Amino acid sequence: MGPSSAPRRLSGMQKQVLSLYRGFLRAARTKSAEDRQRIESLVSIEFRRNAKEVDRKNFLYVEYLLRRGKKQLDQLRSPDIVGLSATNVSFSQTKDPTH
Amino acid sequence: MALRAAVLRHVRVPVQTLNPALTLTGGKWAPPSLRWMSSHGDDHLTKSEVTDRVLSVVKSFPKVDPSTVTPDVNFQKDLGLDSLDNVEIVIALEEEFKLEIPDLEAVRIDSANLAIEYIYNHPMAS
Repeated sequence: MGPSSAPRRLSGMQKQVLSLYRGFLRAARTKSAEDRQRIESLVSIEFRRNAKEVDRKNFLYVEYLLRRGKKQLDQLRSPDIVGLSATNVSFSQTKDPTH
Repeated sequence: MALRAAVLRHVRVPVQTLNPALTLTGGKWAPPSLRWMSSHGDDHLTKSEVTDRVLSVVKSFPKVDPSTVTPDVNFQKDLGLDSLDNVEIVIALEEEFKLEIPDLEAVRIDSANLAIEYIYNHPMAS
């Protein structure tokens, strides 16, 4: 979790994450109200879970998540994609918060 | 970008002819009374209108206690939001004012005041 009280200086990587998040929310805006709601809540849950569980210094893994996220965002931007349900499968692999 | 540049050029012309004194102040952050970038028509938003709408967007954010919202609040320090919430608020503001805020600007908007300033000075805000 980012320290929210400290003066905020975002690392390049944090900026990339936030930019990706922004991208997802913008892409969701182009979908129907129902799809949008679903996408937004899924994306929000996923980002928050990773923010909590992923070690911020694990650069390789964060890079990997960023790459994966960008790919998913590209797919989501296509007009006939209405959800992220297919990606749920890979999300759930990391769902076990034991480490 | 080209469109934006074209619009800005277009917007500036009548201002200069109508009120040449204003251009002397030139700067992007001219005081509110000298709104050189936005005096192209009476359809532009007033500062209090922008303020009201920005605050109401922030107040309607689910995690925010509406009674704590003033123009001076910093989203993360005062409202206890995280950086993802901050992104969500800026996105909600984009939607409310029908504009798109580029990443570089969007990361800087972390308080109601900054949002109000940015939107008020944005020629496309509506």
